[in-house]
Amino acid sequence: MTSIGLPHFLIVGAALFALGMVTVVTRRNAVGILMGVELILNAANVNFIAFNHYVAAPGSLTGQVFSIFVIVLAAAEAAIGLAIVLAIYQTFKTIDVQETDLLKE
Amino acid sequence: MANSSNLRAWLVRLGVLALGLFGIVAVAALHRFAHLGIGLTLGLEYVAVTCVVWGLNAFVFRRLPLSGLTLLVFSAAVFGVLFLVAYFVGAVLGPFLIDSAGRFIGLVHLVDLVFYLFAVMTVAGAAGCAFSRNIIYSAWSLLFAFMGVAGLYVFLGADFPAVAQVLIYIGGILVLILFAIMLTKQIGGDPKLTNAHLGLPVGAALAVITAGTLTYMAVMAPWKIEPVQSYAPVSAGLGIAFLTEYLLPFEVASVVLLAALVGAVIIARKEIKETQDTVLES
Repeated sequence: MTSIGLPHFLIVGAALFALGMVTVVTRRNAVGILMGVELILNAANVNFIAFNHYVAAPGSLTGQVFSIFVIVLAAAEAAIGLAIVLAIYQTFKTIDVQETDLLKE
Repeated sequence: MANSSNLRAWLVRLGVLALGLFGIVAVAALHRFAHLGIGLTLGLEYVAVTCVVWGLNAFVFRRLPLSGLTLLVFSAAVFGVLFLVAYFVGAVLGPFLIDSAGRFIGLVHLVDLVFYLFAVMTVAGAAGCAFSRNIIYSAWSLLFAFMGVAGLYVFLGADFPAVAQVLIYIGGILVLILFAIMLTKQIGGDPKLTNAHLGLPVGAALAVITAGTLTYMAVMAPWKIEPVQSYAPVSAGLGIAFLTEYLLPFEVASVVLLAALVGAVIIARKEIKETQDTVLES
C-alpha cells in the first residue's frame, strides 16, 4: 500500500504550470518563452494521465489519448514557433520580444 | 643516486603507512572479536597511528619537521583526536543513525521514494528553466524536467506516453530548441544576458499565487478515486482507440503535422530577393 495518490501528481502539475507561466511572463528571449509553453503543456499532460490513472474507469484510456494529442500539437507548435523565431531573427537580428514590435521592417 | 635513495625512502614511508593503517584495523578487530585487553589495545593503536603519521609525513604535511619527540607528541595528539572521534561515532552517532535509519525505512516505502525522486527532478528542472540567466542552462534544465515527467508517466502506468515523451520532447523538441538557440547567436557576447528576464518579483508572486491556488484545489477537491488502478500495458489499447473512437482527431492531427512541416519550411526559408518580386509583379 503506497501513500502516493492523485493530489501528489496534481501538485507536481501545478508547480510545473506555475513555473512555465513564470517563464512565459518574465522572459525576453523568444526561445525562452517557447520553453515556458512546453512546460505548461507538460503540466497539462501530467494532469491528464494522473486523472486517467486514478479517476477514469478501469481500462479507459481517454486521458492518455488526449496526452498523445497534446504531445503531437506541442511538436507542431515547437516547429512553427521556432521557425517564426528564426524568421524574426533574420528580419530584426534579435529575438528580444521587447524590441520586435513591428510586423514589417 | 639521490633520486633512487629518495625513491627508496618514499617506498619505506609508503610501506610504514600501509602497515599502520592495517595495524589500526587489525588491532580494532582483535579488540572486538578476540577480547584483547583495553590497555594493550590502546598501546598498539598508538603505535599504529604513529606509523601512519610518520608515513603520511612524506606526502601530506611534508613541511612539518617531524622527528623524535615531535613525532611522538604529534601522533599522540592525532591519536587523541581519533580516539574521541571513534568514541563519538561508535557510542553516540552510530546507534542514533542506525535507529533513525530503521525508523525511516519503516516509515517510507521505496515506491514513494521513486516518486519523490521524479517529482523533485521535474520541479527542479522547471525551476532551473524559469530562473536561469543563461538560455543554454535553461534548455538543459528543460531536459531534466522532461525526463522527470516521463518517469511520472511510467509511475502512472502510462508506458506509451512515457516513451513518446522521451522520443518527441527530448529527442525532437529539445534538439529543435537548442538548434534555434545556436542559430540565433544569442550565446555570443555576454552569455549571462542571453536570457534576460524582467519583473522577477512579479513573476515569483504569480508563480506562488498560481501554484497555491492549484494546490489548494488539488488537495481539497473531493475526487472520486477509483479503488483499483491498473498497470497493464496500454499500447494496444491506444492503437485501437486511435483507429476506432478517435479516428477523426487522429487524421486531423496528421493534417496538422503536415501543415506544420510545410509551414515551418516556408516561414523559416531565406528571404526572396527583391528583384524576383518586382519581376513577378511586372
